[in-house]
Amino acid sequence: MSDRKPSALAPLGRPFAALGGVLGIVAALLPWVTFKLNDGNWPDKSTLQFFDAPFAVTGFRWHVLLLGVLILVAAFAPTPSKGRVVRALGWGLTAVSLINAIYITVKGGGLAAITALDGEFAFGSIVGLVGGVLAILAGYGIGIEPVGVWKFKLSTPVAYVVLLASFAAVLYAVAALLTTGGVGSSNPYAGAIFLSFLGFAGGVLGALSGVGYVRWISVLSEQHRVFSVIVLLVCALALPFTDAGNEYWMTVAANIGIYAATAIGLNIVVGLAGLLDLGYVAFMGIGALVAANFSGAAAAKIGITLPFPVAAVISAVIAGLFGAVVGSPTLRVRGDYLAIVTLAFGEIFTRSAQNNIGGLTNGSNAIPGIPPLSLFGAEFNKSLSLGAVKLPAGVLYYVLIVLLVAAVMTVFANLKFSRIGRAWIAIREDEDAARAMGIRTGKMKILAFLIGAMLAGLAGAVFAHKNGTVSYESFKFLESVTLLAAVILGGMGSIPGAVLGAALLFVLPEKLRDFEDYRLMIFGLALILIMRFRPVGLIPDAHRRAEMIERADENAEEAHVEAKKA
Amino acid sequence: MSVLLQQLANGLVQGALIALIALGYTMVYGIIQLINFAHGEVFMVSSYGGLATFTLLPDDIKKTPAVALPLMFLGGILVAIVVAVIMERFAYRPLRNAPRLAPLITALGVSVFLQEAVRVWYPNATANLPYPKVFPEGNFTLGPISVQWTGVLLVVLSVGLSIVLQTYINKSRMGRAMRATAQDPDTAKLMGVNPDRVIVLTFIIGAALAGVAGIMFGGYLNNINIDMGFQTGIFAFTAAVLGGVGSIRGAVIGAFIIGLIKTLAGQYMPGGTQYDYVWIFVVLILVLVFRPQGLFGEPERVRA
Repeated sequence: MSDRKPSALAPLGRPFAALGGVLGIVAALLPWVTFKLNDGNWPDKSTLQFFDAPFAVTGFRWHVLLLGVLILVAAFAPTPSKGRVVRALGWGLTAVSLINAIYITVKGGGLAAITALDGEFAFGSIVGLVGGVLAILAGYGIGIEPVGVWKFKLSTPVAYVVLLASFAAVLYAVAALLTTGGVGSSNPYAGAIFLSFLGFAGGVLGALSGVGYVRWISVLSEQHRVFSVIVLLVCALALPFTDAGNEYWMTVAANIGIYAATAIGLNIVVGLAGLLDLGYVAFMGIGALVAANFSGAAAAKIGITLPFPVAAVISAVIAGLFGAVVGSPTLRVRGDYLAIVTLAFGEIFTRSAQNNIGGLTNGSNAIPGIPPLSLFGAEFNKSLSLGAVKLPAGVLYYVLIVLLVAAVMTVFANLKFSRIGRAWIAIREDEDAARAMGIRTGKMKILAFLIGAMLAGLAGAVFAHKNGTVSYESFKFLESVTLLAAVILGGMGSIPGAVLGAALLFVLPEKLRDFEDYRLMIFGLALILIMRFRPVGLIPDAHRRAEMIERADENAEEAHVEAKKA
Repeated sequence: MSVLLQQLANGLVQGALIALIALGYTMVYGIIQLINFAHGEVFMVSSYGGLATFTLLPDDIKKTPAVALPLMFLGGILVAIVVAVIMERFAYRPLRNAPRLAPLITALGVSVFLQEAVRVWYPNATANLPYPKVFPEGNFTLGPISVQWTGVLLVVLSVGLSIVLQTYINKSRMGRAMRATAQDPDTAKLMGVNPDRVIVLTFIIGAALAGVAGIMFGGYLNNINIDMGFQTGIFAFTAAVLGGVGSIRGAVIGAFIIGLIKTLAGQYMPGGTQYDYVWIFVVLILVLVFRPQGLFGEPERVRA
């Protein structure tokens, strides 16, 4: 792998980067659209006829300007792994330009809107695109070095400040990501605004990661784990006080949280123990149905009303029992076949729930009217006043779910670094070797299923009360695949990965209403592309990363040897 | 008694349909050990391909079934083959040396993608679409049993094609290459077999059989929908596992058993047809747990 030929682009690296950066800056100062589109003028005064103050850049034009400047800085300042940084920023610039160009042409502008019409010119998107592509090429020309490791040591207070600032920035980015483009359909160009912000954020994040900052922060937070966990929790609880603090986003964030908790549970089964589970959402469904039956809803068959904590524990236990049952074939079945067994169990659950088995699920009528949770007389779905600050409705659910996610994370982290977790990882790597080392593999595998299912059951119980209605429709095969995709997209075995994956898969549909029809198609395509280009996920677990890269090297070596033979 | 006989006949027809799809699963798994989840969608796509072919035909040909029906088969099979080849080339081939989980997840992705592509791009695909009446009409009656002629045709096609396939794999040069690749791809390569060609051919044969099944499904049930691929695909996969994955004979016999379980359980088990699906999965789980090599498979047998 090391004796890679120097790229033919090598001498062009810097000039291309310089040109790309300059084009980025120029693009930000140009108009982007020649005429007013049907749905109104393009955001940030980029429509030619409203283009009165070229230097007052806002929104996506500000992002383009920033990317251009950053490319220039990265090209000429001494930057570690310069090629990676320039390439990442180039991708960001390309993405922002391309997204705007596509949206403008598709939203009724046609190609004339981004080029010239009646002697009027608006080349912003094209200039930006050329700049971005040049920067990507420049990145390859300069050379893609491995990500640097920052070695300098910090005293504890300084480290705390750095961590605090970084996590605050994350909070700001999350709030901005949620609120850009506004809620639902209030802005006709919401999708474009959101996606171009995503492109910008992705480019900057890629650059930070290329420069070694992301790795440095993760090492730092690993060293000060307790402090980081507290800060992260505080940041998460601070979200209602930001721009995202309205009922809509609280609901979305709470839903993401529920799926994130479930995804972490699935991560135990798939990520740690390496057992592919294609029917996992059934456990969430079982938890939700149990909680619904004990909630006192009119449609529930069991007439007993239990307080939520008790019902939640029962839900988790029952889901866990089912988990152990589903897991028991693992004693005899391995690999792909196990995946099929879990799929079969998932389908049996869906079918039985649809047919109202034992009168417990109410079939396709669902169980509606589950009362919301309440604590000290405060109903969780109402708004809340803390002194002078009025918090949006649903904030209590959000808080509850943040705490739930935190609890699930704690369980996961403690398990992962315990004797049990090590046993799971050993089983994942080589089951026979693990058994030879004295691990009771059967017991361990069933335990993985049991704990994973319990966490899903717990999440399901919260889901039932938060949504007020439980239907088998929410727990079908596609949901299992989506959860699995969240785990894989984030990075198997990694906690932040599962949260990020769940967030992406459940926030993107909210944002991309324009693509409502294409949502699942894009999802399928994304699964294919992730497996092809980044099978380790966005935030890979360190251990897993090492293993996958090692394997890739081995394969490359084999291919090399074979090529020599031939 | 007559109910039992009738349900047995219905089960055989269902089994014949499942067998055509199960062959694709079993062959692909035999050669590259991939559970090609998207194979059920190939079957679904071919059904829509046949329907589209019919819609595009001029009116006078539409009225002559003897011409329209073969053209529909041709169209459906062609669509299935094109989809399967593209999917092998761009989704599965790059992952041949990846960890086992990766291609399985890719297959799920392909499956979702194909289903959605048809839903979004095929006109009116969200509703059940009626299938053209170009098939032989009427029923074949034998004592108390009455089966549509399309059902009889389905059984004949299914059994006939699987015998042809079995002979091809056992007797022809390419069949020998397939068996060699299934046994040991590296050695097969040294013997001058091009594994890429063998694998593509496997996908093509599987897709063609699924194409036949897709058209016959429309003819037998008179309407098609986008969910048919996933459901029938799962049945077919179950059949392949039941028979012993990798074995042609096993897949066909497994498929007939699954078809019989479906109709008989729907008739005689508690819950009726609402739960027939569940019984198939119960059988699947029991087979995987107690005889994972299937009825006709041996743990290390020669596959293909």
